[in-house]
Amino acid sequence: MSILEVRNLTKKFGGLTANQDVSMTVEKNSITAVIGPNGAGKTTFFNMITGVYQPTSGIILLENEKINGLQPHDVSKKGISRTFQNIRLFNEMSVLENVLVGMHINLKAGLLGILLNLPAIRKEEKASEMKAYNLLEYVGLADSLNEKACNLSYGAQRRLEIARALAANPKVLLLDEPAAGMNPKETKNLTQLIQSMKHEFNLTVILIEHDMKLVMEISEHIVVLDHGEKIAEGKPENIRNNPKVVEAYLGSGAIQTG
Amino acid sequence: MLNEVIQTIPQVLIDGLALGTVYAVIALGYTMVYGILELINFAHGEIFMTGAFIGTALLIFMTGTGWGSALPAIVMLIIVLIVTAFLTGFLGMGIERLAYRPLRNAPRLIPLITAIGISFLLQDIVRFIAELTKGNYIVTGPSLFTEQVLIKTSSISSIFNDASIKTSFIIVLVTAVVMMVALDIFVNRTRWGMAMRAVAQDRETASLMTVNVNKVISITFFVGSALGGATGVLFAVQYGTIDPYIGFILGLKAFTAAVLGGIGNIRGAMIGGLLLGVLEMFASANLTLLTGGVFGAEYKDVFAFAILIIVLLFKPEGLLGKPVTEKV
Amino acid sequence: MRRLKTLWKKYEQNKLAHGIFLLIYIGVTSLSLYTAQKSVTAFLLLLTSLLLLYFTKFTNLTKWLIAGFVLVFLLPFTASNGDAYQSYMEVSTLVGIYIAMALGLNIVVGMAGLLDLGFVAFFAVGAYTYGIFATAQASNFMPFGTFPLSGESFWLFIIIGGLVAALFGILLGIPVLRVKGDYLAIVTLGFGEIIRIIFNNLDRPINITNGAMGISSVTPPRLFGIDFLYPSQFYYIVLVLLFFTIFTVRRFEHSKIGRSWKAVRENEIAAQAMGVPLVRTKLMAFAIGATFSGMMGVVFAAKQAFVDPTSFTLLESITILVMVVLGGMGSVPGVILGAAVMTILNLQVLTEMTNWLNQLSLSGIISIPYALSPAKMQRFIFGALLILFALYRPKGLLPAKNRIFIEKDLQGANRKAKLVTPQEQSENEKL
Repeated sequence: MSILEVRNLTKKFGGLTANQDVSMTVEKNSITAVIGPNGAGKTTFFNMITGVYQPTSGIILLENEKINGLQPHDVSKKGISRTFQNIRLFNEMSVLENVLVGMHINLKAGLLGILLNLPAIRKEEKASEMKAYNLLEYVGLADSLNEKACNLSYGAQRRLEIARALAANPKVLLLDEPAAGMNPKETKNLTQLIQSMKHEFNLTVILIEHDMKLVMEISEHIVVLDHGEKIAEGKPENIRNNPKVVEAYLGSGAIQTG
Repeated sequence: MLNEVIQTIPQVLIDGLALGTVYAVIALGYTMVYGILELINFAHGEIFMTGAFIGTALLIFMTGTGWGSALPAIVMLIIVLIVTAFLTGFLGMGIERLAYRPLRNAPRLIPLITAIGISFLLQDIVRFIAELTKGNYIVTGPSLFTEQVLIKTSSISSIFNDASIKTSFIIVLVTAVVMMVALDIFVNRTRWGMAMRAVAQDRETASLMTVNVNKVISITFFVGSALGGATGVLFAVQYGTIDPYIGFILGLKAFTAAVLGGIGNIRGAMIGGLLLGVLEMFASANLTLLTGGVFGAEYKDVFAFAILIIVLLFKPEGLLGKPVTEKV
Repeated sequence: MRRLKTLWKKYEQNKLAHGIFLLIYIGVTSLSLYTAQKSVTAFLLLLTSLLLLYFTKFTNLTKWLIAGFVLVFLLPFTASNGDAYQSYMEVSTLVGIYIAMALGLNIVVGMAGLLDLGFVAFFAVGAYTYGIFATAQASNFMPFGTFPLSGESFWLFIIIGGLVAALFGILLGIPVLRVKGDYLAIVTLGFGEIIRIIFNNLDRPINITNGAMGISSVTPPRLFGIDFLYPSQFYYIVLVLLFFTIFTVRRFEHSKIGRSWKAVRENEIAAQAMGVPLVRTKLMAFAIGATFSGMMGVVFAAKQAFVDPTSFTLLESITILVMVVLGGMGSVPGVILGAAVMTILNLQVLTEMTNWLNQLSLSGIISIPYALSPAKMQRFIFGALLILFALYRPKGLLPAKNRIFIEKDLQGANRKAKLVTPQEQSENEKL
C-alpha cells in the first residue's frame, strides 16, 4: 500500500529547473532512498514535500490527500517530519527541550490552560517530558539531556535531529543526508538506528544519502535523480548495475572504458 | 480642488526633488552596507547628521577667516564637501571596525543593537560638542546661496502657479547627481567596485578568489559614509538650521527610500529617494486639502512609513530588486 | 588565601549561613533606612537584598516569601519614617512599572528574537486608553455614557488597557511579521513614532487626545471609597501587577508557547518543520509582550494624573531595550535586575550626580559645563551600554539559563517499551 505519492513534480527558480516531472510512489513502512550527484535536486524535492517550497506544478499526495499548497507547519501536522542536510537544531536550547519542541503538534495546551496551570496541562507536560527522555535514550543521548544542543558532537547532533523528528509521531520521516560527516562506526550505528525505528515506530523512511554502502544496505527502493529528473528507480541490486546511474555519477567515459 | 492641487505641482516637484536627492544619497549608504553585510546600519542617519555639523562648523570657520571669506562661495562649498566627506568616511570606517566587525558571526540581533547604540552615542557626542562650543545644540550655518529664482511655470500652462527656487537647490541637485554618477561608475567600472559586487553576492567565494573581504567592507563603509556626510553638508546649506536629532527621522526615511527602490540595489536607491521626496512633498502640500482638513501636513512622516509598510507587504523586493529565496 | 576559599566554599553550601547573613543584611539596611531617612544609599542597599536573596540556595517558595515580605512590609514601613517617604515610593513604583515593561519586551526580543524598537507605543496605548476615558475627553466622541468615568473603573481598565495594547500588537504584527526579520526593527521604530505623532495630532478633527497639550486631571483610582493619590498607594497596585507579570512570564517560559518562541528565535525553518506556526507564534509574543506594557500604561496614566505624547519617545523605547540587553536577553531574573538598575540609574543616580556637580560648581570647586551634566547624557550612557554589552557581554548580567531536568524524574514509568540504544544493539550483535 502506498503512503506517499508524487506526480509530475516540477520546481523552477526563475530560469533554473531544479526538479522536472518527478513522479514516485512510496510504500508504507518501507525505506526509500533518493540518490543522485550533487545538485541533482534532491533537497529541493524534500523541500517541496515538506512545504518549504511550493512546486511550480505537480501534486503531492499523503495517504491520497493532497498536501502541496500547505504551509510547512501544516505539513508536519499531516504526519511528515524531517531532518536537515545542514543541521538545524535549536542551538541555545537544551537537548531535551529540542525534543520537546518536536512534540509541539501533539500538545493540546492553550494560552489559558498554561496560565492557570491546569492539572491536565501539567500531566501532559510531564508525560511529554518522559516521552522525550525515552526518545533520547533511544538515540543514545540520555546522558546529555541538559546540554545545550550546540555543544553536542556532530554525530550526536544528527541523532538529536532524528529524535526531534520522531517526537512529532510522524507517519513519514525524511532524512536529508543523515550520515554526512559521520565516521564509519557512527554510520554503522546510524544504519541500525534507521532500521530499528522503522519497526519501532511503524515508520516510512525516505532518505537522501551519498554513502552508497548505507543506501544499498537499508533501502528497499531507490530513486535516482540527475539534473532534476528521475533517471532510474528500483531495487538496490538493479540500481547498482543500471548504466544510466553509473553514467550520472561517473560521466559517460566510465561506461566506455569500463 | 483638483485645480488647486495641479497649481502647486511645479513647486511640489522642485521641493520634492530637493528633498528626494538628499534621501537618495543617504539611501545609497544604507543600500550599499545592506547589500554587502545584510545589516541595517542604523548609525548611517547619524553619520549624515555629523556631516551636517562638521560642514556647518567648517563653513562658519571659513567665513570667519579673512582668506576664507575671500573665496567664492562655490569654491568654499567644494572644499567643505571634500573635507567633510573624508572625515565622515573615516568615521564610518571606524564604526565598522569597532562595532560591527567583531560581531560578524554573532546572532543577527546583536549588530542591530550596537547600531542603535552607535546612533545614540553619536547624537549625544555631537550635542555636547555643539553645546560646549556654541552654547546651543541647534545650530544655524552661514547662508551662502539664498537668491531666489522665480520660474515662470505659469507660462507653460495657466493651470500651474509659478514656482520659486533657491540657488542652493541647484547646487544641491548638481552635487548630488555628480556624487551618484561617480558612485555608479565606481561600482560598475572599477576594480574595487567589482570586488564590492563580488562580496555582496557571496562573501566566502569572493574571499577564496583572493578578494580582501575586510578591506572591501571598509571601503564600502568609507564610500557610503562619505556620501552621507557630504549630503549632510548639502542639507545644512539647503535648509539652514540643524540639530543633532535630524539624522534619525531622515535616516528612517532614507531607509524607506532604499527599500522602495529595492534594498541592495544602488540605482534603486536613487530612484526610491527621488520618488519618496516628491511623494512626501506632495503629501505635505495637499494632505489637508485632499482629506478635507482631517489630516494635515504633520502626518507627512506617517505617510512615509505607510509607504514603507505597503512596499514591504506587497513588493518586499522593491521596485528594482530581485526576489530572493532562502536556501534551506 | 586558601583558607578563605575553603571558608567561602563552606559558606556557599550552608543554607543556614545564607539565612543568617541575609537576615543580618536586611536587618542592618532596613534599620539604617529607618533611622537615616535621607540616605538614598540605605534605600538602595535594602533593595539589593533581593539580589542577594536570588543567589541564595533556598527553595523558590522561600525566596518568594522573603521577597514578598521585604517588598510588601519592610520596604514601605522602614521608608515611611520621614519626608523622603513619597519619593522613595515613587522610585519603587517606577522601578516596578519598568520591570513589567522590560519583561514584556523580553518576551519579544529575548525569547522570540524579534527586535522591537517601538515598544513604548504599547505603553502609550494603555496610558491613553485610561487617560481618555477617565477624563471628560471621551465625551467628545462617545455617543453615550458620562465621562469622566469613576475611579472604580480603573480596575477594569487595567484589563482593558492590556487588551487594547495586545490588539495594537496584533494589528502591527499582522503586516510586519510576514516580512524578513531585519526589517522588523525599522518598521517597529517607525510604528513607535507614528503612534506618538498620531497622539500628538489627534486633537482634530475630533478632539480625542487633546494633542500636544496632553490630558490632565485623570481620575484617580478608587477602591472601597478610598482614592489612590500618593505613590505609596500606587506602589501596591504596581506590586500586585508585577507579581502577576513575573508569574505569567514564568509560566509561559517553560510551556509549549515559550518553547516555540525560543525555537522560532533559534531557527525559523526547523521550527516550522516541527509544526510551529511562524506568524501565529510571533504574533502571540507581540500581543503578550504588549499586554504587560499596556496594563502598566494604565497605571502610569493614573499615577501621573496626566498623559502627553512626550512621555512616549524613542528614548523610552531604547531605555527599555537597554534594560533587556543589560540584564540578559531571555533571562527573567536578568531583565528584572536590568530594569531595576537602569531605572534607578536614570531617576536617582544621574539626578543625584547632577545636583552634586551643580553644588560643586556653585561653590566654585570645579566647573562642569552645563552641556555635560549627567542627567542630559542619557543617550550617551545608554548608547555606550548597548555597545559595550553587545560586544563584551552579549548575554547580559544574569544570562538566560535553560531549565534543568532531573534525569531520575523522567525515567521509570513507561518502561514497558524499553527501547534499545544503538550502542547496546551493536554490542548485542557482537555477542
